[in-house]
Amino acid sequence: MSRLSSEADAPTEASGEELAPVDPTRQAVVDVLRDALGAEHVLDEVIEGNDVWVRVAPTVWREAANVARAALGMTYFCFLSAIDWKQNPELGGQKLWDPDADAGEGPSDGPGAWTTGKAGGDTRFQVVCRLYNVTTHVGLTLKADAGDDNPRIDSLVPLFRGADWHERETWEMYGIDFEGHPGLRHLYLPTEFEGYPLRKDFPLLAREVKPWPGLVNVEGLPGEEAGDTDESAEGGES
Amino acid sequence: MTVTDYQKAAYVAGQAADARINFELEAEGMTLNMGPQHPATHGTLRIILRLDGEQVVWAEPVCGYMHRGYEKLCEVRDYAQVTTLINRIDWLGSFCNEVPFVLAAERLMGIEAPPRAQWIRTILFEMGRIANVGLFLGEMGAQLGALTPVFYAFRDREYVLNLIEGATGGRFHPNFDRIGGLKDDLPKGWIDEAKGAMRRLRDFCDEMDDLLVGNRIFQERTRGIGVIPLDVALEYGLSGANIRSSGLDWDLRRDGDHGLPYNELDWKVWTHPDGDSFARYWVRLQETREATKIVDQLLDGLPSGPIKAKTPARIRVPKGEVWLHTENPLGEMGYYVVSDGSPGGPFRCKIRTPSFSNVSISSWLLRGVYVPDVITILASLYFILGDIDR
Amino acid sequence: MGLIDRGLAPKPLTKILNLARSYSLWMYQWGLACCAIEMAAAMGSPRYDIMRLGVIPLPASARQADVVVIAGTVTDKIVPSLRRLYEQMPDPKYVISMGSCANCGGPYWDSYSVTKGVDQIIPVDVYVPGCPPRPEALLQGVLMLQERIKNEDMAVRWRGGVGERGEPIVVGG
Repeated sequence: MSRLSSEADAPTEASGEELAPVDPTRQAVVDVLRDALGAEHVLDEVIEGNDVWVRVAPTVWREAANVARAALGMTYFCFLSAIDWKQNPELGGQKLWDPDADAGEGPSDGPGAWTTGKAGGDTRFQVVCRLYNVTTHVGLTLKADAGDDNPRIDSLVPLFRGADWHERETWEMYGIDFEGHPGLRHLYLPTEFEGYPLRKDFPLLAREVKPWPGLVNVEGLPGEEAGDTDESAEGGES
Repeated sequence: MTVTDYQKAAYVAGQAADARINFELEAEGMTLNMGPQHPATHGTLRIILRLDGEQVVWAEPVCGYMHRGYEKLCEVRDYAQVTTLINRIDWLGSFCNEVPFVLAAERLMGIEAPPRAQWIRTILFEMGRIANVGLFLGEMGAQLGALTPVFYAFRDREYVLNLIEGATGGRFHPNFDRIGGLKDDLPKGWIDEAKGAMRRLRDFCDEMDDLLVGNRIFQERTRGIGVIPLDVALEYGLSGANIRSSGLDWDLRRDGDHGLPYNELDWKVWTHPDGDSFARYWVRLQETREATKIVDQLLDGLPSGPIKAKTPARIRVPKGEVWLHTENPLGEMGYYVVSDGSPGGPFRCKIRTPSFSNVSISSWLLRGVYVPDVITILASLYFILGDIDR
Repeated sequence: MGLIDRGLAPKPLTKILNLARSYSLWMYQWGLACCAIEMAAAMGSPRYDIMRLGVIPLPASARQADVVVIAGTVTDKIVPSLRRLYEQMPDPKYVISMGSCANCGGPYWDSYSVTKGVDQIIPVDVYVPGCPPRPEALLQGVLMLQERIKNEDMAVRWRGGVGERGEPIVVGG
C-alpha cells in the first residue's frame, strides 16, 4: 500500500492550521510536548500527513528534546541544522548578488523582508532538529528561534552525543553559538576561514565576477566560438 | 644545543638496557596521522590517532577535505540544476541521491509520478545499491589485506554500470530523475539483460561468501572488533546496515513514507545481533543478495504507462517545507527542502547524509583498539567522503 | 649523467631511454572523489586494464612515482598536502588532471571551498575532461602522454625543469 500522502495534502501556510483528518499519533506527540513544557512554550505546531513540526521557545530547547527522547521514545538523532530566513532574492536563479541592496527590515510580509516557513518564526536564524522513533516510525521536527545578530541556543550534546558534529557544522556555517557544547571548532572549513558561508549575506565570489550565463542552447566546440569558454576558466581566480 | 625529551628518554632507556634493568619508561604517546591521502580511507579523511604503543588512546577524525559547499550551491541553482549536482554526494550509487530530492520536490508541488516511473526509479535505486555495496564487499577485503575480492567486485560492478548506462546514458552520475518522473523510458531488451546481470551478481555474492565470510582470517580480524551497542548507535544517528547489524529491525524502504513500491514486493530485512565489524559485512552481503531479488520482482511486475507526469516547463515550487528520507545504500539519506515560492532553486536545502553520522561515532569507537583494527572498523562502517563532507 | 644534461648523449640512446620511461610509468593516484572510482575501474577492472600500457598503480610512496593523476575535486583544505606530495615526487614527473573538478573546478565552479583547477597549484601535462571521464578517456590521456614522453628532449627537460614542459595536452580537444 503506497503511503504517499502528497495527493491528499496541499502545502499549508504556517501558523498551526491542521488538516482533517489528523493522525492521532501525531496529535499525541504535540499534546505530550505541550503538557510537559507548558502551553506557553510551545509556540506553534503543524501536522501534515506523516510529519509534525513544532516550534518551541528557545529557552526550553533542550527540555523539548529531552521530552521527545524520554516520553516519546525518540531516541534516534537524525540531524540538527539551521535556516537563515533573510530574504535575498538576488542569490537565487540567475541574478547577481547586489552588495548595495538594503538589508531586510523585520519579519513582515513585504519586499525584501523576512517571511518564515512552517510553524512560523520571529528571528532571522532558526535552529531545526529532527528526532525519530525507530519503533513506531514517528518523527518530530523541532524548531526554535536563535536570534538575529548573535544567534545562540542550548546545545543538545548532553542528551545526544551525536549532536556534537551537527552543532559544530551549524556553528561554522551560520555562526550560531551552542551553549554547553564541549568544543565548537571548524569541522569542514580550514581553520583560517573567515565568515559563515551559509548565511544569506555571504556572497559566492565566483558568481559575482562571472555571472551565470543562463541557458545556453548549443555549446560550441573548444576554440570554435570566441571568448566564452576560455575566459570563464581564467576569470574569477586571483 | 637543547636536548629534547625524546632524546633524554632514549638515553635513559639505553643506560637501563646496558645495565640489564627492566623498567617502565614513561614515554609520551605517539601521535599518528592517517593523513588525507591514504590508500585505506575511502577518500580524503584524516584521522589523528594518539597511540600508546599499539593501542589507540584517543582518535579524532578530521573531515572537510572534500567539502564542496553543496547546501550553498543548491540555493543558487534551479531545481533542475540541483539534480545534476546532488548525484555526486554518494558517488558510487549515484542515482540514489537524486531520488529523495525529486520526491521531496514532487511532494511540495503536489505532483505524483506515474507508477511506471516509480517502479523504474526503484529498479535504478536498487541497482545503485548493488553497485555501491558490491564495491564495499570487495573493498573491505582489500582493507584487510585480501586483494583478490576487489577485482571481482570491479568486474561484477561493470554489469550494473552497463545497465545503468544503457538506460540513462551515464555509468554513474546519471541525472535521470526529473520532477514528475524520469527522463526517458527503458530501452528495448534492457529487462532481459538486467535479469541476466542479477543472476551474475548473485553468483558474485556467493563468491564473496566463499572468499571472505568463510575465511578464518577474515573472521578473526572482524569478529568482536568495533562493537557498537544499539543505544549508542541511536544517539549518534547511525543508520542503514550499521544499525541493522546492531540488532535494530528498521528499514526505510519498508517503514518510510516515500511512495516507492517496496511494500508491494516480497523481500526481507536482514539484521544481526552482534554489532561488530563482521556483522556489518554480513548484513551488507545479505542485503546485496536481497536487492538482486527485489530487482527481479520489479522487472517482472513493471507496469506500463507514461513515464513522466505533466509538469510545467519552468519548475516553480510553491512555498513550503518538506522532509523526505529514503534508505540509501549507506544509510538514511534525507532532504529537508524549504521553498519560498520564488522561481529558482530551493531556499534552503539541508542534506542529511548517512556517512556524516556514521563517522561521528568513530571518535567514541576507536578508543582502546589496536592500529590494524582501526582500519577494520573504518572499513566496516563504510562511509564515502562525498557523503560526509557534501 | 653528465652527458644527458649537456645534450651530448647520442640520439639512439635517448630514444631508448625515452621509450623505456614511457612504458614504465609508476602512477601515483590522488583519488579524491568520483573520478577516483573511474580511475580505479581503469586500473582494477579487467575491462579497462591500464597495466597493459605499462602503467602500474600504487607505488609505495610519492618518492617512487613518475606520474600523478589528480582525480576529483581539489578543495582549499587539501591544497597544502597536495603541494607537499607533489614536491616529494622526483623529476622527471608528469601530472594528469582527471575530471572537470581538477581541470577547472567543474560543477563546483562557484563554491567557496573548491580550488578552481589543480593547475593553480601544480603544473599539469594532460587534461582529461569529463564528469567523470570514462576509463577509456584516462587511457587515452596516458597514451598521449606516452607519445609526448617518447618524443621528449631529455637534455632540455633536465635543464629547464618546469618551464620546458610544453603545452598541456587536452584529451578530445
